[in-house]
Amino acid sequence: MITLARREALMQTCPNCHASQLDGAIFCSECGASLLARKSGKETTAALRQRQQVDLPEQPRVVAAPPVSAKVGRSIMLVVLNSGRRMTLDTGEDILIGRKDNARGIFPDVDLGLDGGYDAGVSRRHAIISFQQGICVLQDLNSANGTFINATRIDPHVAFPLHDGDELTFGTLILRIEFH
Amino acid sequence: MSPGIQLRWTLSRETLSASTEQQLLYVLIDATPYGLPSALPTLPLNLCLVLDRSSSMRGERLMQVKEATNRIIDQLGPDDHFALITFNDRAEVVVSAQRVRNKADIKHLVGSIQAIGGTEMATGMALALQELQRTTLRRSISRLLLLTDGRTYGDEGRCVEIARRLQSRDIGLTALGIGTEWNEDLLETMAARENSRAHYITSVQEITQVFMDELQRLHSIFAQNVQLVAEIRPGGLVRSLDRVRPYMATVPITEDRELCWNGKLGDWPNNDPQTFLLELVVPPMGVGEHPLLRLTLRYDLPGVNIQNQVSEAVLRVAVLPEGTAAYEVDATVKHWLERLVAYRLQVGAWQDVEAGRIEEATRRLQMAGTRLFEAGEVDLARTVQDEATRLLRSGHTSDEGRKRIKYGTRGLMGKSDIRKEREA
Repeated sequence: MITLARREALMQTCPNCHASQLDGAIFCSECGASLLARKSGKETTAALRQRQQVDLPEQPRVVAAPPVSAKVGRSIMLVVLNSGRRMTLDTGEDILIGRKDNARGIFPDVDLGLDGGYDAGVSRRHAIISFQQGICVLQDLNSANGTFINATRIDPHVAFPLHDGDELTFGTLILRIEFH
Repeated sequence: MSPGIQLRWTLSRETLSASTEQQLLYVLIDATPYGLPSALPTLPLNLCLVLDRSSSMRGERLMQVKEATNRIIDQLGPDDHFALITFNDRAEVVVSAQRVRNKADIKHLVGSIQAIGGTEMATGMALALQELQRTTLRRSISRLLLLTDGRTYGDEGRCVEIARRLQSRDIGLTALGIGTEWNEDLLETMAARENSRAHYITSVQEITQVFMDELQRLHSIFAQNVQLVAEIRPGGLVRSLDRVRPYMATVPITEDRELCWNGKLGDWPNNDPQTFLLELVVPPMGVGEHPLLRLTLRYDLPGVNIQNQVSEAVLRVAVLPEGTAAYEVDATVKHWLERLVAYRLQVGAWQDVEAGRIEEATRRLQMAGTRLFEAGEVDLARTVQDEATRLLRSGHTSDEGRKRIKYGTRGLMGKSDIRKEREA
């Protein structure tokens, strides 16, 4: 780990596409992702969190040792970037993300139909946020257009840990998650 | 005070950490004219309009174009030269190059234009070049203003070739596309040189305004042959130069001699400030304060008869021991870089679409949307997102969406964008 840290002090790796980037680069020259560690609530991607994700064993069903930054407080907030809508949600309960469909009796906790979800390719039952031993995880429910964490598509039915400031994309609708 | 252009700069980081490796540093350069008399004598214009009169221009479009042309004629002075070419399946000289003396006669000729037939642009361009070269003004600003709503068939190569010939003879090109059918690749390729630009007109009502703005720009050119030279310390590199204000445009740079890069900026209209973003690879440096870059701006000021003016600046940077320099990024530099990254991402996305790499293109557009959101360009970000969705679903993008994104990311659309820039 020390050698890793040393290497990263000189070069940095893009959290999104893993391209090598010179120290001092603000955005990745390959994929355009932000290379700044999150300093304010405004930023969305953070190299630190991504590195931990990379270190995790492949496709963990249950995440064992909780990374410090993944610990959740009493509530989480989801911010829909295009509409600016903010939703505060209690932790502990499972949170279904999708689009309301009265006819089929689907009433998601987070109804993205209100934010242009249909056009953005959000499925009725798109993804679920749940909590495993105090860690917030996201699972894609085999949605038609996919779920992305920081622009990386996640496999369906696999729980991926979420971190404060992560950018979640459902279809093409982008949300940011914040822990409070 | 003799007039000139002042250079000011902001580094992405005020201090660097001592390192044995190269680092990346961004420099935002503000170039601001000063000391100019408020009313500069304007240089005579040598203007040639090349108008599409194919059948698709019939009705409102042609009416607005004629109206806009008449407004231009109204604004021209007795020393300005004016010519007008139309093209459909063939091209003709409607008004041959002449001093604008009898405006009523010229307008009568404009009124006689009818829309009919197909689109064949190259012959129109060739005639325009001929007309522009008829005049023998010693100091003047020569420009070809092309307006089309369609595609030309089979003579694209010739169009580009004629555009290059114009540009090599110091004739600027403004290529205006109206509607959604025109070939943006062609117009952009034609305009991809200094003193040239392509512009997207979304609705016919804008035509007059765009023509007037263009004329105002030409009348207000105060500096010509502007070049930015950047000389970096040994071991360093200049990776790219982009203009970010008043609108986004990559400036091609060449390493004229070792460690010394040159970017040609062409004419400078409006005596408004311009802003550039330079990407530098900084060589390893020890602790201390070091000169890093010498910037030289060369230009002529034809309105006050001054040639070969030079503004210079030497950028120095402080290097602190490893671990003591705070990693703080300047917010203004980041803002412009964010918009530049969005602009570059969409350029890459269209190339991906062309090559059939739909997933890659979608990813780039999504990232461009994120960058634009973060830069506060919410409307544009939404357009980008809609287009990403469309692409993901159907494998295609819409013509209108693509043009809006292309020109929107460059800051070439809508007044609201200009207002935002001023506030920024």
